[in-house]
Amino acid sequence: MTKVMTLICERSCDLDQYVDEKSQLKDMPGCYVVKFPCSGMIQPLMIEGALKNGADGVVVTGCQIGDCYYREGNKMLRERLLGERPPGLKKNVDRRRVLGLWLSKVQPKKLLSDVKEFAGELEKLGPAAAAADKK
Amino acid sequence: MAQHKVYTDAVTKYVTLPLENAVNAMLTSKYNPFYYHGALPQFFLWVLFLSGLLLFAYYIPTIDNAYSSKEAINAFTSVDYITNVIPFGVVIRGIHRYAGDAMVLTIILHALRVWFTDRYRQYRWVQWFSGIVLLLVVFFIGQTGYYLVWDERSLVLTRMTVTALEAIPGVGPALKAWFINGETISNLTLSNYLFIHIGLSFGLLFGLWMHYVRMARPVLTPPPVINYALMAILLAVVFMNPIDMGQMAVLTSQPTQFEIDWFFLWPYALLLQWPPMTFWLVMAAVTIFFSILPLPFLVRGASGTELPPVEAAEVVLTKCTGCSLCDKDCPYEAIEMVPAPAGSRFKLLATVLPHRCSSCGLCVGACAFDAIDLPNNQDAEVNNKIKALLAQS
Repeated sequence: MTKVMTLICERSCDLDQYVDEKSQLKDMPGCYVVKFPCSGMIQPLMIEGALKNGADGVVVTGCQIGDCYYREGNKMLRERLLGERPPGLKKNVDRRRVLGLWLSKVQPKKLLSDVKEFAGELEKLGPAAAAADKK
Repeated sequence: MAQHKVYTDAVTKYVTLPLENAVNAMLTSKYNPFYYHGALPQFFLWVLFLSGLLLFAYYIPTIDNAYSSKEAINAFTSVDYITNVIPFGVVIRGIHRYAGDAMVLTIILHALRVWFTDRYRQYRWVQWFSGIVLLLVVFFIGQTGYYLVWDERSLVLTRMTVTALEAIPGVGPALKAWFINGETISNLTLSNYLFIHIGLSFGLLFGLWMHYVRMARPVLTPPPVINYALMAILLAVVFMNPIDMGQMAVLTSQPTQFEIDWFFLWPYALLLQWPPMTFWLVMAAVTIFFSILPLPFLVRGASGTELPPVEAAEVVLTKCTGCSLCDKDCPYEAIEMVPAPAGSRFKLLATVLPHRCSSCGLCVGACAFDAIDLPNNQDAEVNNKIKALLAQS
C-alpha cells in the first residue's frame, strides 16, 4: 500500500469531513494528514523524517500563495522546497516524492484529486524504502 | 457587541474565498489584486503625491482681490488657470481628485478584508489602530483639498467647519482660530489649508511607518501590471467625468448648495442633519468602537467563548546556534538576536518578543536545529506523530 503523508496548514483545505479518527483520509487508506498552524511551520527535516520512516511520498499544503494568514508562511515553505531559502531539503531527497499544493479552505476536492494522482505516480516509482536500499 | 468569528468565517467561506479563487483562475495568484489590498491605497498615495506636486507648482494660496475681477490672482483663479489654460491641467486635477476617492475606497476594502479574514487583532492591533488614525487623517486631508479650490463649495465647507469647531466646549474658539488662522477668513486661512493639506500628507508617511513597523517585508507595491491597470481605470474615470469648479467664493455671499463627494465630504451631509455636538459625539463613539474591536473579550468563537490567547514561541537555549535564520524569516519582527551569554560557543542567541509573536511557527520551519518551539505544538511531538502514523498498519 502506498503511504502518503499530507502535511497541511489548518487554514488551508478543510479536510475535517474527509478524515477518519486515525487521521487517515477516508477514501484513501494509507494517506495520513497532520495539521499545522501554518504551512510555514513545516520543517524540511519533517519531510525528510516522514520519507525515512516509511512514507512513499509527502504532500505539503498551504494556502493560496499571497493569502497566508500569517503573511508569508506558504511563500517561505515554497522557497525552501525549491532550494531558494535555507534550510532546504537535503540533496539526496527524491524530489519526485514531494508535492507542494497551494489551495484555499474551500478547495478540499482539488486536494483529494491531486493527492490521488500523486499516489498513482508514487506507485509507479515503487516504495521509497526499496529505492533507498538500492542506493 | 461581541463579534462572533463564526459569521466572519462564513463570509470568507462562502463569499471572499470563492471570489478570490475565481480571480486566481483568471489571473493566477501572482496578479490577484485581492492579495495586494494593502498596497493599492499606497499606490494611489504615490499618484496623489506626484499629481499634487504638479498642482502645487501653479497653486496660489490667497483670497486676494476676490471681489474685483476675473484678472485677480488668487486661489480660485490659479485653479481656474490650471484647469483651463495649462495643457492637461484639468487631467492632473482629475487624477488628483479621483485618486483621492480611489484611495478612500481601497482603504475601506483593505479594512473590510482584514476584518473578515480575522487579521486585525492580537499581535496586529498596532496596524489596526494606526490604520484607523490614518483613515481619519486621509479624510481630513481630502476635505482640505476641497477647501483649497476656493469656489463657493469651499466657502460653505469652511463656514460649516467653523461652526462645528466653535461648538466644542472649552477648546472650540481656539480650534476655530487654528483652523482659519485668525478670527476671520483671510489670506492666512488659505495658507493654513495648504499647510494642512501638504503637511499632513507627509505626516501620513510617519503614520504609515507605524502601520508597517512590525511587518517584515511589507507588500508596498503590487506587480507593475496591476499598477498599469489601476492607472488606466483612473484615467478612464478622469476622462469620462471631467471635473469642473463652481463660482468663485465671495465672502459677502451666502451660497447654500454644493455637490457632495461622498468619499470625503460625507461628514458635511451629517452636519446638515445634526447639531454639531451630536456630530462630534457620534464621530468619537464610532472611532472608539472601531478602535476597541480587537480587544480579546469582544471576539467570540463558535461556542460564544473567548478565543485562546497567543502562546509565543520559545527558544531552546541549549540548541540555538545564533544563525539568525528565524530572525530573518519572522513575518512580524518578533525575534531579536542578542549577544550570547558568556561561555557560549556562539556569538548570538535568538530571543522572542512575546507581544509581537503570532505563534505561527514560521520560525520553527526556519530552524535547522530544532532550537525554537511553539509551547503547545512542539516539533518533537509533530515528528513523533508523523512516525506513529506511518508505523501503524
